[in-house]
Amino acid sequence: MQIHELVGAVHEAAWLPWAVQYFFLIALSATALLMALPGLALGRVAALPRARLALMVAVTTGITAPIALLADLHQPGRFWEFFLYTNSSSWMAWGAWFVPSYVGLIVAFAWAVHRPGLYALGQESWRFNWLFRWLSLGGASNGFVRPLGIAAGAAALLVLIYTGAEVYVVRARPLWNTPFLPLQFAATGFVGALGLMLVLERVLCREPALEARLNRALALALGVVAVLGAAWFALALSGLSPRHSEALASVAGFPVWQKIALWGAVSVAVPFVLALVSPSRTGWVTGLIAIHAAWMFRWTVFMGGQAVPKVGSGLYDALLPAGLDGLMGVIGTFGLWLFLLIAYTTFIPWTEASAPADGAVPARPATSH
Amino acid sequence: MDTNRRGFLGAMGRVTIGAAASMAGAGQSAQAATDKPHIPHWGMVVDLRKCIGCQACTVACIMENDVPEDSFRTHVSVYEVLKEGGDPAMVMLPRLCNHCDDPPCVPVCPVEATFKLETGEVVVDNTKCVGCAYCVQACPYDARFINHETQTADKCTFCFHRTSAGLLPACVETCVGGARNFGDLDDPESEVSRMLRENEVSVLRPEMHTNPNVYYIGLDAVLDGRVAGEAAYRPPLTTEPQAHGLGAEPQPQGEDA
Repeated sequence: MQIHELVGAVHEAAWLPWAVQYFFLIALSATALLMALPGLALGRVAALPRARLALMVAVTTGITAPIALLADLHQPGRFWEFFLYTNSSSWMAWGAWFVPSYVGLIVAFAWAVHRPGLYALGQESWRFNWLFRWLSLGGASNGFVRPLGIAAGAAALLVLIYTGAEVYVVRARPLWNTPFLPLQFAATGFVGALGLMLVLERVLCREPALEARLNRALALALGVVAVLGAAWFALALSGLSPRHSEALASVAGFPVWQKIALWGAVSVAVPFVLALVSPSRTGWVTGLIAIHAAWMFRWTVFMGGQAVPKVGSGLYDALLPAGLDGLMGVIGTFGLWLFLLIAYTTFIPWTEASAPADGAVPARPATSH
Repeated sequence: MDTNRRGFLGAMGRVTIGAAASMAGAGQSAQAATDKPHIPHWGMVVDLRKCIGCQACTVACIMENDVPEDSFRTHVSVYEVLKEGGDPAMVMLPRLCNHCDDPPCVPVCPVEATFKLETGEVVVDNTKCVGCAYCVQACPYDARFINHETQTADKCTFCFHRTSAGLLPACVETCVGGARNFGDLDDPESEVSRMLRENEVSVLRPEMHTNPNVYYIGLDAVLDGRVAGEAAYRPPLTTEPQAHGLGAEPQPQGEDA
């Protein structure tokens, strides 16, 4: 049988590249926060250098992500309705509560971690000491770091669960409706976060030992991504999971999707091998490829997924438009992140961040007020 | 309510008789008024044997509902189907919101802006919609879209503003061949109920278990889901499907359209 579609409607993508940016940044933030906890909330001194970079990534991407999310709404001015009319059957409605809680908690956690440093800068005799006295709220005590960190970690897990579930529950899109998707979002989130930490390490620290540690962690995360990907294909090809089989069948016949699959495999394999073979000299390359892999995964899932018709034939467009809803939005989001990164590294004594001793005693002598 | 335009014109002649009959039955009506009023459950039966693919319904819908450019609340997909040993056949498939009894678009809406009316229509309160497009993703029929004039979710309402006034939906009103039939599925005497009783009918994407209220007479199973085969639209940077789904032949990678 042959079927030729002669007249059909083309459906544009309803979730714009803003959504790709949001899911990319929030996954990086949540996974980075989880990597910051051992060093900064649980007091593992050996993990401190990595934790400082992780917290930097968590805060800067965590603040940028909701702005991209807001931009993806076609009626951004009505965002307050999320909190007035919460529909408990919608994962998105739950996310509207999880995301602000998470962002508030990571900012509070970061502030608590850096409070002794901010207070110390406020005590020195220099032009902007008034600013740091204000930022430290006049004290150095930070015994509440651990509960704040644990609360932020719980919120990060909720964010990872809701972002995965929100997309996974869409039965109408076979490519999204696979049980592995939430795990793949989380695993590629770790890959992207470690990639960004590697790049920041190269720019800000240049410590081969830290680079090697980050590269080994990246190799582990890439290994998990590879195992998940292989299991996804195995379930789809074997027919053990009809949902995975349907997802694969929805795109398998298209050469462009075959190239995307190959591209994805190379993006995982190359940094994996480099990170294992030469962990202390390849941070730039593995970091940039890892960031690219995490972003491309989301682009493929969201924009590629929306290019698969639900009832029509063939594929729709999945190109990046040049305007505010496309390329300019992507550049703008990264621009905002860069601004926050510059502000973070300029105003926050992040190199001194550490967990309070015994989880209750401030890292520096505190002055009671 | 009459089920299609021809039925409506035919009923014009029966108006005076009906008026006399209603006078005669006034006593019964008074008794019936004390009972719970019957609430219709609107549905549509599309007889594909009568659809000629003229797109009059598409245009009528756009004019009636002020549908923006490049968007459709309803349209007619047209396919050329060539079965083994047969001649090529043109097949028309009118598409619209199925006003499902278990609509996947409703539970995902984060702000409860989309809901199902007592009479069965799935509608959007566009003064409440935040334009998140989650419902657009959840609809298995691609029947929803973001209206870029209102920046909210938009879809077929079965012309609620017309049916509330006792009129037929615009697409039914204008259907040239009488393919689109609209009426009360809960009324066993309605034309649509009779059509459902007397014909073999099917729905789109039955595997989604959405319980649609749009039924088709004469729908080929190869068209009830995602339709395999060559697409009318070929975007840049993609090529022909090599072996996608049922009946697709391996294709050489040709020039993009």
